[in-house]
Amino acid sequence: MGKDVAVVGLYCDFHAQKEHSTTHMLGAILKQLASRRGIPNHTREAFREAKKEFGSRGLLLPDMVDLLKMTITSLPRLFICIDALDECAPKHRRELLESLQRIVLVSPGTRVFLTGRPHIDDEIVGCFRNVLRIHLSPTPGDIKSYLEMRLADDHIPKAMDNELRAEIMRIIPEKISEM
Amino acid sequence: MSPGHHQVISNTHSFNNNSFNNIVNFITEIDGEGRQILKWLSPLEPQQRHQSVRTDRLGSVGNWVLETSEFRKWRDAGDGCVEPVLFCCGNPGVGKTYVRYEGF
Repeated sequence: MGKDVAVVGLYCDFHAQKEHSTTHMLGAILKQLASRRGIPNHTREAFREAKKEFGSRGLLLPDMVDLLKMTITSLPRLFICIDALDECAPKHRRELLESLQRIVLVSPGTRVFLTGRPHIDDEIVGCFRNVLRIHLSPTPGDIKSYLEMRLADDHIPKAMDNELRAEIMRIIPEKISEM
Repeated sequence: MSPGHHQVISNTHSFNNNSFNNIVNFITEIDGEGRQILKWLSPLEPQQRHQSVRTDRLGSVGNWVLETSEFRKWRDAGDGCVEPVLFCCGNPGVGKTYVRYEGF
């Protein structure tokens, strides 16, 4: 990837749904871009306007979407990654997907990468008709590497012997494949 | 100057150093007002969580995702591709968060 590629990311969190309002989430995307590429003039102007009001009011969602659109159109390639979208409050999730859809429409170089549990698929398809999908489940190789790492990190190595180790390496992958 | 001023400076500093994957290396001077603007845009600090995910991740686990035709199609398609969204779905605990990181 070249230097004209920007990657921004968000992590949704079930325990922090209140803090993760749609405006805050989109703001975090703009914040990542602005901190690396400089504060865009329109964002600076919006801030100065808001500051004139008592208590320096925060941005409303439509204003935030507009600022993001203006910022993103100048980028040749942008990847927006959002983890655990299912942990976002349903209302915020819908607003976030709708906002992303509007952003992608005006910025053809933007790609969106989402992770989440399968049940939110319909909501995503409701906003973006064509969605590419990868169904994740750990491969036997992934499970083996992970177990080896955890065993190597054992804090009570005396409790381990070759037999127990072999049993762990055999039984856990079996149980996972049954899930 | 607000009491939280120094905190803002240190957050912004780590923010720049921990840019996602260091792909974008535009070093930008952020002035005093700029720091206020970043704080005003959002209280969220996703780059902090990103650092811990990055540290906890194990080598090559999940790399197969990068080889899938879906991932390649999504990443390499030209502007205005009809499928701008890639959804990696899976049940709790399969490692979705960690795949997400190594995708880039």
